Amino acid sequence: MKERMQNSSLKQEFLKNWIKGLQLHTNFNKNTTILERRKAIKLSADIAIASTRNSTTRWSRALISDASRDGSNKTLIEKISGREAPRKDSFGLIRCSKKIMKRSRVTRQIRARKAVLPSVVGASLIEKKLVKSRTRALKRLVPGGEDMDEISLIKETIDYIVSLRVQVDVMGRMASVADRLIPFKSL
Amino acid sequence: MQPTSGELPEMNNLNPLVSLHDSQMSKSSHFDPTSSHDDFLDQMFSSVPSSASSFPWPEDHAPPQPCHLEDQSTALLASKLRQQQISNGAAKALLLQHELMLSRGLAVNDLRSPSGADIEFLNVPHADQDDVVDGSYYKSANLDHEASVKALFNGFTGSIGHSSNQPQHLLHSQKFGGPAVPEMNQPAASGTSGGGTAGQPKQRVRARRGQATDPHSIAERLRRERIAERMKSLQELVPNANKTDKASMLDEIIDYVKFLQLQVKVLSMSRLGGAAAVSPLVPDISSEGGRNGNGTQTASSSNNDGMTVTEHQVAKLMEEDMGSAMQYLQGKGLCLMPISLATAISTTTCRTRSHHPLASASNNPLLNSEAAGPTSPSISALTVQSATIAANGGGETSLKDVNSVSKP
Repeated sequence: MKERMQNSSLKQEFLKNWIKGLQLHTNFNKNTTILERRKAIKLSADIAIASTRNSTTRWSRALISDASRDGSNKTLIEKISGREAPRKDSFGLIRCSKKIMKRSRVTRQIRARKAVLPSVVGASLIEKKLVKSRTRALKRLVPGGEDMDEISLIKETIDYIVSLRVQVDVMGRMASVADRLIPFKSL
Repeated sequence: MQPTSGELPEMNNLNPLVSLHDSQMSKSSHFDPTSSHDDFLDQMFSSVPSSASSFPWPEDHAPPQPCHLEDQSTALLASKLRQQQISNGAAKALLLQHELMLSRGLAVNDLRSPSGADIEFLNVPHADQDDVVDGSYYKSANLDHEASVKALFNGFTGSIGHSSNQPQHLLHSQKFGGPAVPEMNQPAASGTSGGGTAGQPKQRVRARRGQATDPHSIAERLRRERIAERMKSLQELVPNANKTDKASMLDEIIDYVKFLQLQVKVLSMSRLGGAAAVSPLVPDISSEGGRNGNGTQTASSSNNDGMTVTEHQVAKLMEEDMGSAMQYLQGKGLCLMPISLATAISTTTCRTRSHHPLASASNNPLLNSEAAGPTSPSISALTVQSATIAANGGGETSLKDVNSVSKP
């Protein structure tokens, strides 16, 4: 029950942020293509859901920083999150450190691969390989996930999934209202 | 025979372990896994019945040859045990005790059940016990692939409840309680000495390695536990998450995240484009409403009348065709949204900013308005208009029911 209350407040905050972002696109007319519209809507939605977290989670920070890399989104971000779009310097530093970490990780992997030569490929090795490859895939999916260790990756994934569900729910309701082809479904 | 006689008093301590295990099975919360080493030991040693007699020690019955081999290994283990006991490694001492027990169990089939019980008990004290030592030992003593599969399985679940339930079943089916220890995925880095011969020299190497990587194994154990408990909460989120395997669980998670992301993408492509065009007009209306609302009551009432007209129009259009109704609304700069969200937005925004009326038509499929008709398939079109906040800061929302239209 408490979760549902938390959820509904999340939904409300997301909707508020999202509408704030949508209001910026006053230049929508008949000529804007569906693709442009889609991008704008999705961008507003993503920044809206990320700013509901108030930079407490890594994925939200990564999402906003990725969006702010493109200079044209600056006003959008400022409007939605209500605070300054992150300056490029700090994120440049972060990206630098990320690169360094990546390099070290890669060399570590190379060294590990050279060291271990399994004579018998048991089920455990296959399992480990599967787990590793899937963890890598998950890291690619979660924004900002590349540099997280496994524990925080799972924590971020949980938060990210919750936020995605909120996003889908609210957007779905809006869409079902605006376009009755999509049947209304409550999660 | 000296080492064996020396082992006996230590073996006595295992009986309370067995009894503890039994009580563990009855009430799960009996054993507190987070208690420190000292508490754990006190718990055990406090209830020492010296029932050496009851403990089956059929050395005499054992066939001599394997016993001989085992004696050597147990001698080694016993010496290690004494070293450990001297040097403050109490927990490790216990584990080495267990190893000794199991080395006995290897030689003697009669010890099947107690050794099984011991192994199960080993599963119980999860926190900070470096079961890795035992894990490595078991690995040497038993079939490798079975061990690894079970270990992965147990390692993934990780909680006491899980691992004490599952391996039991597996254990008793085996000859001498197999590798039921949760942690056997020892990092390969420390497994360099594992290769080579079977039997006695391997055991000696394993024991030494366990000592050397003590803090690492504890850290590993902690890490595994944290991962496991987070995975559990993730399992509740993701549908179809009854998989016990870590790899398939990750697969489900990945698929679910991809699915949600795709949903967001698709939803942003729908006719929300119309809604996006709508929202910039909202401030315009709000500014108009602000001008009106600042005036007298008549102004606000005329504002309301204006809304009523729109509502009737919308209702009429809704009866014919939902799409045209939507377009009409959008032309007016209104959008439909669930009423709960609308009220929430309006109340919060009204509180924070004055002169900010939100005019929107709300659609709540759950609410049934004045028409006394059908319940679920009806759509009620509700108009929510929050009046402008007067100078004194009062805010009000007025709800107006239009009518209910049944869904085609």
